[in-house]
Amino acid sequence: MIKAQRGGKLWLLSVLSAGLVLGAQTRTEDRKPITIERAPQRVIKDQYPSFSAVAINPDENMLVVTDENLFQILEYDRRENTPAQARLSEPKRVISGPNTRAEMMCGVYIDPVTKEIYVLNNDTQNWLPVFSRDARGNATPSRYLATPHGTFGIAVDEEKQQMYMTVQHQNSIVVYPKQAAGEEKPLRTIAGSDTQLEDPHGIALDLKNRLIFVSNFGNAQISPPGSSGGRRSADTYGKFEPPSITVYPLDASGNVKPLRVIEGPKTRLNWPSQMAFHEPRQELFVANDADDSILVFRAGDQGDVAPIRAIKGPTTGIKNPPGIALDIKNGEVSVASMGTHAVLFFPVTADGDVKPLRIIRGGPANQVALNIGNPGAVGYDTKRDQILVPN
Amino acid sequence: MHDVRYDAVHDEIVVPVPYAQAILTFRGGADGQEAPIRIIQGPKTGAIGSRLDVDPIHNEIFTYTGNTVTVYPREANGDVAPIRVIRGPDTQLKRPYGIAVDPINDILVIGLNSNFGSDEPITVEDTESLEKGAILIFNRTDSGNVKPRGVIRGPKSGIIRINQMQLYPQKKLIVGAMPGVIDSMEPDSAFLGVWSYDDNGDIPPKWKIPANDRTKLKKPFGVVLNPKNKEVIISDMRNQGVLVFSVPEVF
Repeated sequence: MIKAQRGGKLWLLSVLSAGLVLGAQTRTEDRKPITIERAPQRVIKDQYPSFSAVAINPDENMLVVTDENLFQILEYDRRENTPAQARLSEPKRVISGPNTRAEMMCGVYIDPVTKEIYVLNNDTQNWLPVFSRDARGNATPSRYLATPHGTFGIAVDEEKQQMYMTVQHQNSIVVYPKQAAGEEKPLRTIAGSDTQLEDPHGIALDLKNRLIFVSNFGNAQISPPGSSGGRRSADTYGKFEPPSITVYPLDASGNVKPLRVIEGPKTRLNWPSQMAFHEPRQELFVANDADDSILVFRAGDQGDVAPIRAIKGPTTGIKNPPGIALDIKNGEVSVASMGTHAVLFFPVTADGDVKPLRIIRGGPANQVALNIGNPGAVGYDTKRDQILVPN
Repeated sequence: MHDVRYDAVHDEIVVPVPYAQAILTFRGGADGQEAPIRIIQGPKTGAIGSRLDVDPIHNEIFTYTGNTVTVYPREANGDVAPIRVIRGPDTQLKRPYGIAVDPINDILVIGLNSNFGSDEPITVEDTESLEKGAILIFNRTDSGNVKPRGVIRGPKSGIIRINQMQLYPQKKLIVGAMPGVIDSMEPDSAFLGVWSYDDNGDIPPKWKIPANDRTKLKKPFGVVLNPKNKEVIISDMRNQGVLVFSVPEVF
């Protein structure tokens, strides 16, 4: 009986509520949103930088690193070596903020003459901002270029004053005048079904032999013959191919076939990211992200070849390295180790599970980075009570 | 990857890979460099959008390509064609980006970026002058050139573009991440909004979690619900992190 009375009251309330709701539905345009102004219960966030790309100017001992986590460009003295007991090394300067047009940065270049810093954005901003030697804080770039969406790697031919970039989203390479700015268009583009550009990332130039090296993750997009490619082309479909390094003439343009391809299980390529070319040694250094390794190939390698050297193993401290730079003057290779908040330095001849010469840490030692990058979505595994975050 | 869905009925994780135009399904609890248990990819499949959702009851996966919504069998493996598509001028589909399906109430919701998301550079001036985004509400089984049953769009809606969405069938709610002007790193207008399936027109959200210093939200890109704990879980691009809010009033 009591239950029935309660039920009756509830039913009446429901009817009244329904009426109110129906009344509200007739004027939903006038609805006042209920603003939920409260702090989150929990926040999952890495408070330290995720180093994504690295560049060196040995003449001024200038080491510039991009940080995809806190959206910073950091300059260190390349000779810095974070003491084991220190929490981190403080950078000499930091460029960061909404005026910078720099966010998900994955490529960086230092002008050898002016010491200007060129930065490439990937998935969230379509700009290449350039910063002066003195820029710091929330600086406005001294100039910026509107780039295609999804640029990743940058390499510069200083003699011809041309800069080369990979475009992940369009499976292309674009070449601009080095001083390009604003809405300037590329001088030339390498793209199309014959190029075998498959999710291109890193790019390096051999100016002596006039070659372009490009690293590819292997996410191929098959387009009709004659198509300019790109994932929005009509009739495009996808195919998983092995990761590769494709090689083109330095002056290539259009839908050109690679001169040769390094690809296959012996290569150990697995998400090959930034690359650097050692011209005197004629060696190609590859930051091999998903394999936690640095691979070195001969300049003339082709097909399914093993690297001549590989820096890999627990002693190296390398974890998910997207960035790499060569300091030919001092005989060092520097590695942006995104998984450990660190830049690691090795001799260019290093091989195997070797200890780095120096470490510059942006966070505490032995603290693994969260590696959350541009989290476009989130999922929840109800069976395991786990939050899933795709990058 | 710009989407991830956990299929609790089959204990599977489903993700789109737009660079390789593929839909990958992993076992729940997959770890490390583990191979997917199924791949949808190939010439019949065609191009795949950046986002998707899974209907574990009717065994379908919803995604899009260009201005076309495509539906694939959930258990498909290999090069399979969509089993139905929604496209045409009556659909109002223009740069679909968010997508969510409710298999209980038979609702399909599409978030539009409208003129956003092009491969061409877009400036702040462009985004202010171009057509704004919207939420289109369809029936789950719609096919062909159909009109949406509801369109939420306009200045009162606050929608500039819509990223990931989730539906809450029990209360017929649409929960969408609205990250604001694409070219602005920390846009003032960003929020997480909750609308009703019955909303149609220039309708403000019923609830909103705005981006500000108090909520710590900056640029919400993704959202998922945990009804058990009455939580809204938001991935935030500018925070490069995940924020968990307790919002019992929504559930």
